[in-house]
Amino acid sequence: MPITFEHVSHTYSEGTPYQYAALKDVNLDIQEGKITAVIGQTGSGKSTLVQHLNALLLPDEGEIHILDRVIKAGEKPKKLKSLRGDVGLVFQFPEYQLFEETVLKDVAFGPKNFGCSEEEAEEKARKALKLVDLPEDCYLKSPLELSGGQKRRTAIAGILAMDPKVLVLDEPTAGLDPAGTKAMMSLFYELNQKYGKTVLMVTHDMENVFAYCDDVAVVADGSILVHTNAQDFFRDSKLCRSMNILPPALIRMRDMLNEKGFDIPADVQDIDALADYIAKQVKSHE
Amino acid sequence: MGIIDVKNLNFSYDENSETIDNVSFSVEKGTYTTIIGQNGSGKSTIAKLITGLLEKKSGSIQIDGLELTLENLNAIRAKIGIVFQNPDNQFIGSTVRDDIAFGLENHQVPQEKMDGIIDANAERVRMTKYLDHEPTRLSGGQKQRVAIAGVLAMKPEILIFDEATAMLDPQGKDEIKKVIMDLHHETGLTIVSITHDIDEVAASDAVIALNEGKVVMTGTPDDIFAHEKKLNEIQLDIPFSMKLEKKLAERGIKLERYITMDGLLEELCRLHSNM
Amino acid sequence: MNNFTLGRYLPMDSPIHKMDPRAKIGALLIALIAIFFPAGWIGYAVIFAVVACVIILSKLSWGFIWKAMKPMMFMLFFLLVINILVVKTGDEWLTLGSFTIYSDAVIQTLYIAVRLLLMIMITTCLTATTKPLDMTLGIEDLLKPFQKIGVPSHEIAMLISIALRFIPDLIDETERIMKAQESRGVDMKEGKLSERVMAILSLIVPLFVSAFQRAEDLANAMEARGYAPGEPRTRYKVLKMERRDYILLLGAVLLLACMIWLAYFR
Repeated sequence: MPITFEHVSHTYSEGTPYQYAALKDVNLDIQEGKITAVIGQTGSGKSTLVQHLNALLLPDEGEIHILDRVIKAGEKPKKLKSLRGDVGLVFQFPEYQLFEETVLKDVAFGPKNFGCSEEEAEEKARKALKLVDLPEDCYLKSPLELSGGQKRRTAIAGILAMDPKVLVLDEPTAGLDPAGTKAMMSLFYELNQKYGKTVLMVTHDMENVFAYCDDVAVVADGSILVHTNAQDFFRDSKLCRSMNILPPALIRMRDMLNEKGFDIPADVQDIDALADYIAKQVKSHE
Repeated sequence: MGIIDVKNLNFSYDENSETIDNVSFSVEKGTYTTIIGQNGSGKSTIAKLITGLLEKKSGSIQIDGLELTLENLNAIRAKIGIVFQNPDNQFIGSTVRDDIAFGLENHQVPQEKMDGIIDANAERVRMTKYLDHEPTRLSGGQKQRVAIAGVLAMKPEILIFDEATAMLDPQGKDEIKKVIMDLHHETGLTIVSITHDIDEVAASDAVIALNEGKVVMTGTPDDIFAHEKKLNEIQLDIPFSMKLEKKLAERGIKLERYITMDGLLEELCRLHSNM
Repeated sequence: MNNFTLGRYLPMDSPIHKMDPRAKIGALLIALIAIFFPAGWIGYAVIFAVVACVIILSKLSWGFIWKAMKPMMFMLFFLLVINILVVKTGDEWLTLGSFTIYSDAVIQTLYIAVRLLLMIMITTCLTATTKPLDMTLGIEDLLKPFQKIGVPSHEIAMLISIALRFIPDLIDETERIMKAQESRGVDMKEGKLSERVMAILSLIVPLFVSAFQRAEDLANAMEARGYAPGEPRTRYKVLKMERRDYILLLGAVLLLACMIWLAYFR
């Protein structure tokens, strides 16, 4: 079932001098089972948009269809709590939400809130911790003793333990080093490919979008500017540049080469393919 | 002898592990040096040791010929300005103006001189319009620019950037990188930047690579990137242009080593137009 | 947070807003002392008249002042009830069956009520017309002479100003943590006692942890920029007393003199 936004608007501080329309008539269809990147400048409304997915924020106008629920403006949504368990939302710098005595207890916190017994919750916690590749000797440590990267993985495990069908991630690789970024993106890729989870990722990192995402939704000034698949999005980098987004290195190289007389196809996917094209064209001139 | 001379530096947060293990390196005056390494390799710890925010266990740290000891801590700190990662947690004043003034107050600059210094340094980082803004009204990039103005106001000889762009959005990152480059080109300041940004590393004069508290490599960016295998061992990467070069070499196209895309592009165009 | 009237600063363009915070704090302290002299109902009328003038000059609305006093009303009513039950001296005013309300009970409550309300009026006047930061500077300067007996006036002022600077950030952070925990199924509003306790813990522990991290980062930044508590430093913001500030202080002293006269020499 796709996730649908129909004419959704959301205004902060309505009726006060600080009134601010963060979302204006948003219409969006997010495909189930895909990894969709949500991109846009700071202040464009991305965070407001994703917080509607687990009903942290409710629409002031319009309708949202998610999984088998409908959230209508003006109505209190039914089955709200269970929605939170089915749509796992991971905020930016999630390591700040850790609070329990041990890593295991913190990760089990989510499942317990959704009705699991202690044993069930611990079982789910262990499974989730294994997914994020956290070493077992950390399980009984206090979350505060872990390194930054380990804390983040613990926080993400805390959401995965609830076994959500949809995973919403707000800049999951912010502040990580290249190795950490790669590990994190591989995890989400695996969750999508192997477990079929629908993944939505708010991100600024175009390299990640290019390498891992199926679709791209661009948010600008409170509404959806573009929603297309990743290949089409990067086909013509004029779009990226008009939004002040730096395209991935591969795409930049492709465009620079084409400007100088090369003929690199627009849908070149990886560095090996690019090297092949370049080599062929250089050799044909020798 | 460099403006920063570290010899056999040792430090640990607890008894069990050596956070900094027998580290030695030198930074030449006026250069732009980048320090790279995985999270947890000890980069920030070294920055804090150099500024005396942490007390070394053993070894020597010399700043501009002066040995870092408890007695001359203030004199050393006056020579170094450090910009940290979190834009909020180093913004002390209630407005931009007040924050830049903070360092001046500490250094007992006479009150009459303060406005002039504040204006000049705000101008340098292009924050003049925001002098009376509160931090809640500023973006991350703007706050970091204020932090830079605040340390510049104290006329240091060395500027250390401790992952100053890690928590910023792309626009903020660009702003700060530009300010750093401008400072490097327009002033004689020695700049040390702890970073993950490969492009920034490629543009620097010297690189120090750390892993698990030890110095693994030092040299120019060219030297460092030549050792791809070693970099991979410590989980670091090489620039895209170098990766492409290697792929092309595998396909029989031999090129000079270029660490920037523009250099590589030029060479390829030359080859392509050899008709 | 927006409904919190007591202690809130209202930016406006009035002569009182422009006055030196030291003069205002000084006048406040003198006026508070004046209230406690037993100057009788005439005395309170005089004080009220003076305070009313200040409020009018400060362009604050009476509705705003009333909002500041409202929280006290309930307590005062409660006090009245207690006094009626306990105080059995004075004239008999009202008898209901076997129970009598005595005049002293009501009058004593009124005395307390009037003093309390006057105090709130004056204090609200001060906080509403003075920027928190200016207040901090004023406090720092007024405490400076006490440095000789060991009062760390500057450090106290620094503490207050940093706390003020971070209030908006702390509020934002609280909201963020609440949302993150709600995303894990925490219900901040309903649930059994044990669940509510966990809900609060899941909010407070991260807040404390992040506060400590923030404090450490700040301390490093401050130290690196040469801050050394106890060492001499200059100050960017200067406060200057103008003629109107001296007039305010003089007025407060006159008020005090008037109360003393009314209390003991009439």
